[in-house]
Order: sequence, then C-alpha cells, then structure tokens
Amino acid sequence: MKVPMQWIKQYTDVPVSAQAFQDAMIMHGTGVEGIEDQCEDVQNVVVGKILSVRKHENSDHMVICSVDVGESEPLQIVTGAPNVHEGDLVPVAKVGAVLPGGVKIKKGKLRGVDSYGMCCSGPEINVPDYLYPSVGDKGLLIFHEDYAPGSDVRPILGVDDTIVDFEILANRPDCLSVWGVAREAAVTLGTEFHKPEIKVDTVPGRMEDYVHIDVQDTELCPRYCARIVKNVKIGPSPMWMRKALNAAGVRAINNIVDITNYVMLETGHPMHAFDMAKVKDKHIIVRRANEGETIVTLDGKERDLTTSMLMIADQTNATGIAGVMGGEESEITDETTTVMFEIAAFDRTNIRLTTRALGLRTEASGRFERGVCAATCREAADRACQLVNLLGAGEVIDDVYDCYPNPRGEQVVTASVARINDRIGMQVPGEEMARILRSLEMKVTLDGDTLTVVAPDFREDIENEADLSEEVLRIYGYEHIQSTLLRGETAPGTRNVHMQLTDKVHRILSNKGLYEIRCFSFISPKLVEKLGLAQDDPRLNMLKVTNPLGEDTSVMRTTLVPSVLGCIALNQNRNNETAMLYEISPVFDVTGRKAGELPHERSTLCIGAYGEQVDFYLVRDIVLDMLDRFGVTCTIVPGAEPYHHPGRAAKLMAGDACIATVGELHPDTMTAFEVTRRTVIAEVNLEMLCELRTKMGHVRSLPKFPAVTRDIALVMDEATTVGSVLACIRKAGGALLEQAEMFDIYRGAQLLPGKKSVAFSLVFRNPDRTLSDDDVNPVMKKILDACERSLSATLRL
Amino acid sequence: MDMQEQLRKIQEEAAASLEAVSDKAGLDALRLKLLGKKGDLTMLLRSMGQLPADMRPKAGQMINEVREKLTAQLDALDSKIKKLEQEKKLAREAIDVTEPRKHTPLGSMHPVSLVQDQLIDVFTGMGFDVVEGPEVEYDHYNFELLNLPKNHPARDAQDTFYIEDNIVLRTHTSPVQARTMLTRKPPIRIVCPGRVYRADEVDATHSPVFHQMEGLVIDEDVTMADLKGTLDAFAKALYGDDVTTRFRPSFFPFTEPSAEVDLTCVNCHGKGCRVCKGTGWIEVLGAGMVNPKVLDMCGIDSKKYRGFAFGVGLERIVMLRYGITDMRALYEGDVRFLSQFRED
Repeated sequence: MKVPMQWIKQYTDVPVSAQAFQDAMIMHGTGVEGIEDQCEDVQNVVVGKILSVRKHENSDHMVICSVDVGESEPLQIVTGAPNVHEGDLVPVAKVGAVLPGGVKIKKGKLRGVDSYGMCCSGPEINVPDYLYPSVGDKGLLIFHEDYAPGSDVRPILGVDDTIVDFEILANRPDCLSVWGVAREAAVTLGTEFHKPEIKVDTVPGRMEDYVHIDVQDTELCPRYCARIVKNVKIGPSPMWMRKALNAAGVRAINNIVDITNYVMLETGHPMHAFDMAKVKDKHIIVRRANEGETIVTLDGKERDLTTSMLMIADQTNATGIAGVMGGEESEITDETTTVMFEIAAFDRTNIRLTTRALGLRTEASGRFERGVCAATCREAADRACQLVNLLGAGEVIDDVYDCYPNPRGEQVVTASVARINDRIGMQVPGEEMARILRSLEMKVTLDGDTLTVVAPDFREDIENEADLSEEVLRIYGYEHIQSTLLRGETAPGTRNVHMQLTDKVHRILSNKGLYEIRCFSFISPKLVEKLGLAQDDPRLNMLKVTNPLGEDTSVMRTTLVPSVLGCIALNQNRNNETAMLYEISPVFDVTGRKAGELPHERSTLCIGAYGEQVDFYLVRDIVLDMLDRFGVTCTIVPGAEPYHHPGRAAKLMAGDACIATVGELHPDTMTAFEVTRRTVIAEVNLEMLCELRTKMGHVRSLPKFPAVTRDIALVMDEATTVGSVLACIRKAGGALLEQAEMFDIYRGAQLLPGKKSVAFSLVFRNPDRTLSDDDVNPVMKKILDACERSLSATLRL
Repeated sequence: MDMQEQLRKIQEEAAASLEAVSDKAGLDALRLKLLGKKGDLTMLLRSMGQLPADMRPKAGQMINEVREKLTAQLDALDSKIKKLEQEKKLAREAIDVTEPRKHTPLGSMHPVSLVQDQLIDVFTGMGFDVVEGPEVEYDHYNFELLNLPKNHPARDAQDTFYIEDNIVLRTHTSPVQARTMLTRKPPIRIVCPGRVYRADEVDATHSPVFHQMEGLVIDEDVTMADLKGTLDAFAKALYGDDVTTRFRPSFFPFTEPSAEVDLTCVNCHGKGCRVCKGTGWIEVLGAGMVNPKVLDMCGIDSKKYRGFAFGVGLERIVMLRYGITDMRALYEGDVRFLSQFRED
C-alpha cells in the first residue's frame, strides 16, 4: 500500500529521515517494502518561459526556441513539440537534469543546431494529465498560472513527495489506511497521532425525501450508513487532493469520486457514491441475489449469481454486487446534482466467497475480505461530508441513515503480566505494559498482576493474552529478546525410521557414483500414459490436482520413471556423456482409495543411467548390492515392465514379493521420452525395503581348514539362464559347497548352434576337517547329475 | 711360483674381475672361477700336497683367509648387483601417474538433501526428533488446526493446490506438527522436513514445489527467548560464530507473537552487499510462540504448556550457501550442475 509521507505528516510528526522511518516501522510491526522519492525521479527541471520560436532550417517539424530559465542568458533549445508558442511557460529539463527511468539530459546537437536542454511533456516528468491538466491537449505541458522562470516544477506539479510502500500484515486491516499507519508511526516514533476533528456543516433535510434504504440481510451487511449531498457541483478536486491521490497510485476523476477514494485511503473504508437521479424510484435494497438472477458488471460481463451473494438492488433489479462492484447506471457524471455516499460493512467471508465464485476482485472487495470495521463507518461517512464542505462540492443534509442493529460492543481481554513476560521471555513491568497498550489506544487497568484491556473498535485482532503479548513485545522492541537455551532433557534426537533408511540409501548410491535429483511430484498424465502400461495397471489411476498450474503438473505421480526419464533426456540432449541419476520420493497410490481419503504415499527409489560404462548389469548390481547392505537377498527373475526392453529386464524378488525392477529402456519408450541413448531404469520399493531390512547378526568365524576348488564347464541351451544353473548347483552342492561362481561363458564354433558353455568355480569346505577327493567326488557327481537331469546342462569334456 | 705369489696373483686378478663384473651372471662365473670345485683357490688347495708337511698348515691358513676375504667381497658385490637389478626393474616398471583412467567418480546427494541433512544434524544435536508426514494432506491438518479456518484471508498467502475440497497438497510442513501434537504428549521437540506445494509459477526464485523444515517445541516453560537461543545456535552451527539472528515483528495465524527472522548476511558478514540489498541481514525464517488456540485445538492444555515453532525454506538456504541464482537449476537434473556438490 502506497502512502505519501506528506499525508502521514498531516496526522503525526515524523522527525526522522525516510530510511530511519522505514527501519523503525519494520522493527515495530509495520512492514515497508520500499520508499520512493518522487524528487529523485525528476531533477533539475524548471519553469521556462519561451521567449522566441524560429524554424529549424534542416527540419520541417523541429523549431529552435530561446527559453528564459531564470539565468542570465536564455537557453537555446531545439524541440519537435507541436505546441510551442512564444510567451508560454513550460517545464524545461536543463543540461544535467534527470528524468524518470534515470534519463540524463546532455547538451545535444539536433540536425546541426546546438540544444541546451529539453522542453517536457507531462508524462516525461511523471505528471499525468489528471494531476495537472495542461493547456491544450498535445505535446508540451503548458502551465496555466504564472511562475517565475527557473522555479522548481516539482512542488508546482505535485510530484515532490516521498512515498512509502507499506506491506500490511494480514491481521492488521486497520493499517490499510493513512490513519492506521500514522497511528502506528506515532507509537513507533513516540510522537502523537492527531486525528482531525470531524465536523460537518449541514443543511436541513430528511433522508426519506431522497432515498429509501432497506437492508434485508443484516448478517451479511452488519452496518449500512448513508449520507446525502445535494446541490452538487461536479468539478476537479483541488491540487492537494489530486496530488495525494496520485502519489497513492489512484487516478483523480472529479471532486465527488476523489472524495470517496480519498476517504477510503485515509480511513480504510471503501465508499460508493450514487447519483440519486439515476437510482430507480430512489430505492436501495440490500438483499441476497435471487435464484437464477444475473447482472452485467461494469466490465461488461454478464455474471450468474447465487443466493449466497449480497446485492445492492432497486425494486426490480440488482444494480451492483455489494462490496465488490457498483452499478454503471448510478455512476457520478458531470450532470450529477444529488449524491448518496454509502459506507457499509460486509461480512468478509461472504465477500471472499463471492469474489472467488465470480472471479472478480476489486480494491473494495480486497479490503472487505481482509476486514472493514463496522464501528467506524459513521466516522468515515462524516469525514467524506466534511471534505464536501471543504471542497465546496455541495450541501450535506443533516439527516443520516445508519442501520447498525448489532454493534460489536466492547471486547474485554484480561491478561497476566507474569504470563506475558513468561511468553516473551522478558521482565517488562506491568506499568510499562499498560503504557504501551494505552499508546495503542487501548483502555487499560492494571491491578497487581492483572491487566484488563479494552481494545479500540478498529483492533478486532485483539482477542486474548497472546495477542496482547505481541503488542507489548513489538512496541517494547523485538531487539530486546534475549537468547536463552532450552532447558530439560538433553538426549540427542533421532531421525525417524524412514529417514534412517533413506540416509543409508543416499550414502550407498553416492558411493556408487550416482547423483540425486529432485523432481516435481506432479506431472502430466500423458507422461504416464507414454509408459505403455496395461489398461488395468494401477499406475494409470492418478490423483488429480483440481487447480493445477497447467496440464504438465496436473496429476500426482504414481511412478518416478517419467520424471527420471525427463532428466535423462535433458542430459542426453545437452550432450552430457554419461549420467547416473536417482530420485527418492513418495509415489501416490490411489488403489482402493475412496473419496475423502488420502492416497497411500509409498516411498520409492528410481535410478536412471546411461553412458559408456553403463549397462543393465551395472545398474542391477548397484540395486542388488544396496539391497544386500540392508540384509535383503533377492532372486533375479527375468521379466519386463512394458517400458523395458523385453529381453533385458528383470524383477528382483524378495521371496514372493517384487521389491525392485531393472531394465534397459524399450525403444518405443526411448522415442516417447526423446531418449536417444541406451538407458537403464530401475525402481525400488523403499517401503518394502523398510519392512524387510534386517539388523546385522554375529560374524562367521574364519575357516580353520583348507578348501577344495573344482572348476567345471557345462554346455547348455542358450535359453537356460546362468541363474537357474547356479541355483541348481547350490541346491545339489548342499552343506559342503561353500561358494559357486560363474567365471566365463563361451559361445562359438566348437559348440553346437544354440548352445553355450558356462564355466563355474566351485569351492568346497568342511569347517571341521580337511576335505579329501573322496569327500568331494560324490558331491560333484550329484551336482553334475542334477544339472543334467533338470537343466540338460552337461559337462563339457 | 711359490704359493704366496700364486695367492697374490689370484687376489690381484680377483680384484680386477670384481671391478669388471656388473651382473648376476658375471658374478656367478667369477664365484665359480675363484671358489668353485675347479676354481683357482680349490686348485691351489689341492696343490698343497706338494708342499712340505710343516708348511701345509700355514699355507692352508693363508688360503682360507684369502677364501674368506674373496667370499665376503663376492657377497658384497652380490647384494650390490641385486640392488642394482631391482632398481633397473623398478625403473622399467615406472608408470605415468598423471595418465587419466576411465572410472566412475563418487556421486552426491542433491544440494537440498545436503542442506537438509546438515540442519537435521544441528537440531538432533539439540534434542529434536525428526518426523515426516504425508504430502497430500487434509485441509484440517494443513489449515484448520493451525488457526487458518476456511475462507480466512490469511490463506491467500499460501496459494493452495487442491485435490478435493478437504484435501490439499500441503502448503507447509506444519501439518506434521499438528499430527504430532495430537499423538504425542509434551514435552515435544521435533523438526519436520519435507516437500511442500504452493501455486506459484516457476521462475528464478519461485517454484510450485519446494522444501521446508519446520520445528516445534512444546514444554511448560518455553519462551520467546528460548526460540531466539535455539535459532541463534542453529545459525551459528550452519554459518559460523559471527552469525546472529534478528527478530522482526510479523504475523502468522499459528503463532503469537510472530517473527520474521533475519540472519547476518552470510555473504558480507553484516557489512551490506548485493545479496542482502545493503541491509546486512537476510530473511531466512518465520517463527513465533505457538498460538494458544492451536495448542487447544491439538489437544494440548494451553494453560499448562507453551510452545514455539519456526520454519525455514531449504531452497533459500541452498541458494545462499552455494551461490545459486536460478532456482530452476535445482530441479532440472543436469549432471554438470549436480556433480559440483559434495558434503562439507
């Protein structure tokens, strides 16, 4: 919220620099986003009197002026403006002047003629037409009053203020006003806040002669206040008001409209001015919209209304949406003669729901949503009338309409000085607390340890002791908070079980050379569809975000694969030679979920890798090694996800449960995800790992007796997996077989087509004695028999 | 030639040969020539029979002395040659230690994980337990129990993604605090790290998905000063002893009083720079004393217990810590970016 400093200074002294003011306000609870000095934007621009104008010989649109800027010699200035006349006063940016945007004026040469400055238009020096209407309508700004050449133009044009951009906290709607921030400034700086004395000069009159108001819903409209101004003379408002509005970022329009905006900015009360000549039958009804009712709002859109919305209506039609947008018909025009000011309070939640439903937000609705105090409506109405007096804009009648059936009444809060001190960790004396609260316009009695406080009407946020403790603390000063250490037990905290697991996973994977990525957990449903999953695959049921930023972030992912593939594709696209990436994140499983229930969030690890060193086996072994570290042993079962290469993929089975899948990417999936190089992708169910992980047991003692090693080569069909042969060997080898490993595969001319020869190294050992051939030979025979019988794998001779 | 003369000659020749020998083969040949079965000394010893009996002992003694001397010389030469040969072998085996090899370098956690881990270490050291909770959350836990009733304008500050009317993508990790208060009895000391969601378009400093860590302490006697002490300790552990915190008044519906917490600018140490926009401070945390309404809603007696809470955005810390200016780099997963990170 932008507030001009000169406006604040009408109501309180600010005896410090703008920077010091900003710092002090921030430290005492009123945020300041920045300070804009209008004088910095425009410098060294003065009133200039055009003494003579002559044609530029090398240009058909430029002229050469001689301009008196109050110096000993007039300046020669070349300009292309169409409205240059001898004797006019114009703003002149002298050499060395600064214009908005940091433009610096230098001595120039325009088509061969020297020019020592620039004559300015209004916009060139931040002066909109409504702030200082120029004589005529094109080109240079022409002053209408007489000023001495060389005078600074900024005070004349109303652009010499310092503007403070406040950031008001959500609990302080009362500070969305000049009075609000001036009040805080006074408390902060230790100065005094002087609210103007509000007196209205009136003429006799009766409301009912001008308007019939009927507030039918006092719940949604707790207060409706109206005053009539007759014999209105529409015209521009005075310079001081236009200047204040302009500095606050509001366009000046005419005296009546400007008064409504001025009062809104000053008091925080949105106001509406009706041209009573255009209010049908002089009836204003505040009611809920009827079933099926529609309204065309000022922006020309027809809007469907619901019965929860509050309307301002005449006897037949809704003319405006209460607190959101007025009607076009009753707008103030130059012909307006009788005006009604409406200052009302509306239920903030209702306004919020209405603006949401209609997608229509205005300055007024924003204020009503945050909370406008009903108790101060009348004061704001009177302030508007006082300004009507001041501006001579019309005659205020003495009768007032004010429907306020249920005043909020005094809210009494009691608090304990000791408890407040306990809360803020300080020792502020009760008297000091009382002084602080009184400076905030609260009524305070201090009785021993007990503070009894009545907050002013506009402080609806003060509800309990905690609220008071904050008021005390922020005025006393947050900088006085001490640093103390927590007392009590000092045992170190622990990570939760899931994080203990993922911490280890992180460590293992980074030691294996993988880099962690973090992706968005909502994705495009199309990406999941691109995986080619079967129609009944649960991963195709995804939780939808009802208000996503876009289609690409519209569903909660049920698998991490698309996200990881996205990163893989990015790395390939950027010609990174190799990338081994992983992500750990929940996936959102809605299997069996009913409406109103949360999804099952299953912690999942996904690995994606490509590069010269990367193949299926590398990734498979990273996963197996990791699982092994948690004491989980798996069998490798050939089997592919739809997005895997059908011949290069496996499921890792922990007993009957599939804990992980690993596979090279299917060429179709590569195309779908714009992955160009062979890529291996793995997904691991970390939730299952959390359940299956075991603690490490006791160590095995090292063997005391030597082992016997036998190497064998078995010839088998290509289709026979090495894993199945190893399993067969291990089973047949029994207790004596300590270890069985493959060390070579031979395919070639010495074998029949479709066969391969696989060499195994078998280690036998008896923990209690040295083995002899007689011990080993029968076991070897058993192994060879088993391999031949169940897998047709025969000894290669 | 008498024996003495012969011995002298043998020794002279031996000395010359010892000089000349430079390898193991030469040495073995020389040893054989001097001391072997048909060697010079052996032959001389055999010829001793021709000497008169009374001279033999002396002659034998002389020959043995020479033999011992030569043996010692040969042994010395032997070890010298062995050493030389080993040196030659080692020289042959020298490799270019600067030659690069294909290998897989160590990987790394994501910078957000690195910072999160560091913060968790600091807080577990102060007795805080780590608690995680669901990312898709009931409105009830995310808002209502935190004193953000439906249609409250303070909800505007947290543009929310909805799944259903009563289910949201959590906008902060505070619902984990609410869940904890409902299930654990005080004293409570927890930190809740995790991913959170707000409907912000992606740009250099915003992301609809980001990470937070929030902390909560509930006990009978905690104060705002304890909050400051805790956050001071956190700031020092993270950035060093010269870093302190500054509290500024603020408003959060779930705390009262509330504070924005600034840290001494980690870039300029408080002198004022581009990073802190000249103020010497950087805004990093939100914090405050838990609103008694929140305690009561979460089943904790606000007459008996007080609490404080704080929350920090991890991306902000990450960007300050590593000098990252565009947040998007954190989520796109380029290895050239990721491979720059390591644990401190």
